[in-house]
Amino acid sequence: MNLLPPASAIRENEVKMDFIIQAIVSGILMGSIYGLAALGLTLIFGVIKVINFAHGSCLMVGMYAAYWVVTLTGANPYLALVVVVPMLFLFGYFLEDFLINPILKAQGDVREPTEIIVVTSGVWYILDNITLMIFGAEYRVVQTSISGKAFELGQIIVSTPKLYGLIATIIVSVALVWFFKSTKLGKSIRAASLDREAASLMGINQYRMYNIAFGIGTAIMGVVGCVLIPFYYVFPTVGVIFDVKCFIIVVLGGLGSIPGALIGGLVVGLIESVGAQFMTSTWTELIVYAVFLAVLFVMPSGLFGEKKDW
Amino acid sequence: MGMKKSMKCGFIFVVALIFACSLILAGSPALAETKVVKIGNILPLSGPSASVGIQGKYARELATEMINNAGGIKSLGGAKLENIYVDSKSDPTVGVSAAERLINNNKVNILSGCWNSAVTYPATQVAERYKVPFIVPVSVRNTITERGFKYTFRIAAKDAWWARDQFKFLKDMEKKTGVALKTVAFVYENGDWGVGMAEQWAPLAKEHGYEIVLNEPYPSTASDLTPVVLKIKRAKPDILLLTSNAADAILLTNTMAAMRVKVKAVIGTGGGHADPMFRQNCGKNAEYMFDVVEWEADLSKPGIPEVNAEFKKRHGFGLAGESVDAFASVFVIADALERAASTDPEKIREALSKTHLNSGPGMIVSYDAVEFDGTGQNINAGIVMVQYRMIDGKLERVSVWPMSAARAGYEAVFPMPQK
Repeated sequence: MNLLPPASAIRENEVKMDFIIQAIVSGILMGSIYGLAALGLTLIFGVIKVINFAHGSCLMVGMYAAYWVVTLTGANPYLALVVVVPMLFLFGYFLEDFLINPILKAQGDVREPTEIIVVTSGVWYILDNITLMIFGAEYRVVQTSISGKAFELGQIIVSTPKLYGLIATIIVSVALVWFFKSTKLGKSIRAASLDREAASLMGINQYRMYNIAFGIGTAIMGVVGCVLIPFYYVFPTVGVIFDVKCFIIVVLGGLGSIPGALIGGLVVGLIESVGAQFMTSTWTELIVYAVFLAVLFVMPSGLFGEKKDW
Repeated sequence: MGMKKSMKCGFIFVVALIFACSLILAGSPALAETKVVKIGNILPLSGPSASVGIQGKYARELATEMINNAGGIKSLGGAKLENIYVDSKSDPTVGVSAAERLINNNKVNILSGCWNSAVTYPATQVAERYKVPFIVPVSVRNTITERGFKYTFRIAAKDAWWARDQFKFLKDMEKKTGVALKTVAFVYENGDWGVGMAEQWAPLAKEHGYEIVLNEPYPSTASDLTPVVLKIKRAKPDILLLTSNAADAILLTNTMAAMRVKVKAVIGTGGGHADPMFRQNCGKNAEYMFDVVEWEADLSKPGIPEVNAEFKKRHGFGLAGESVDAFASVFVIADALERAASTDPEKIREALSKTHLNSGPGMIVSYDAVEFDGTGQNINAGIVMVQYRMIDGKLERVSVWPMSAARAGYEAVFPMPQK
């Protein structure tokens, strides 16, 4: 005889508005951070047309970098951005240069060489396991000046570190849009992404463009790392948890689309947060995947993606 | 591409040599007759549970040494205890064949083991068939002592008793402080362990008259548990019962602190809440939370500091729940042998069933006496409730219940301060 009440049943008779608003607020905050993490992936795919399976591991590297800079210097995590972002940029730049460009060069006439999937998967395993060897499997949390703090607007509690995450997401997105629309370098990267041979005929070093784009992608992971460590724990396989979400968000929003990644992130965040008030978290995961599948069937290019010649 | 002929010959020779040696060693007759009582120990000495298996081995070695140095089994003319260890690799089939071998080839008088309930369950069946007493220090699966076996004796508490004791503690707290508790929330990881605990909590809550206001399983690998914490806040329970692994325990505790969730008592079920990483990563946020465990080193029972210090000196780390039960089990065996005054398995079994061990170096467990009921279960086994407290700036686990064994000078802070 099972005396357990139905899962997730809460005794109150009606769902109070306050809690729904709180759930929406939490959903937007967390969703924006998911969106930021997905931005790096969508950029790399949009420009280099490469599915980066090492994306989660780059996120993990970003988090460890942020963790160590903050732990060793005691600095505010957002101050640590100054060190972490360039560090991650260079990491991505050289990763692309050593591992991926040779394949692109060898397969000059193939738009998306499949070897890259294999190589990035290899990078994923190697990075995760090297980190495990060097830093061990323990979960690490760092106490920063903003950990655990929150603003209270009446009954609604807004977590401070997540709010900063939302602000960081907005700043990074605006900066990226401006960069790609208005700067020469940004336009060169877009040119290389559209047609790499034509771009190189115009005098653009396509491979350098790829390095820079990849570097920007991992630099964004550095920002995410700084955003996450005030409230999340670091361990060698933390990338895997966010990785799957990022892939879903990127496909949902459209590969290569910046607004798509953000909206996709918000959608996932809201489903997880608001949906969970009415059912268990296992069901909300199911709904996220169901939405993902539905979008794939109905709009394969995602919400904001360009129509592709699949 | 084969090996050179000479290498091949050499290789075959070495293999044959090793084979011959192992045959000789395996077939060697038992050591000196009569003056030794052999205990066969089946433990996970490799694989994922190796760490606890090895702790069990060390604990048995220490206890055996203490007994032998004190003169061995006096009623058997000073016979010494001898342990034979076999690695179960946490695999039930390996455990079963180990039991067969220990009984038939090594001719052990008693068996002990196996930590993994999945291995203990079939291994004890082998012992029952051959009528050899089998002591189970640690495995918790309920059914191990629910099969009507006569030769299985379990020292640890049954799985079901963990939940029972969590509620017993609450009842004691209600009586002691006069605080009325009406509502309870279950939040647990959605795997076998968590779901199993929740199914045990439900009837206990009904029995104690608590209303279940939230039943929330969640995935242990979630990246964000704010939705779950929000639901706890909405349900406003008096008591929050948790079953979590380390990562989610950390996330829940920190998120509950950030979202200002206040309840009268939070009780964990070991596992993640007992993990040292939980302590490191939650700090002050975990203060005043309760957790259950078989044993804690600060219990005020005589003999604990000395034995713990000796163990630590030899191995670099202290005793824990599993090793304490293993340690006590050897003394239970020695006590039964003394009373049986014989190595006849039936007499040993008889003596074991009449055990009432309440003193001696082996009784560093949290309860007062080892006594087995008709099913072979130690009826006094129970768990210890610890509370996380900040002592000198560090978060420590302080035993607070059973109140007779609580850390000297400490009482449970109940309900949690609602700052």
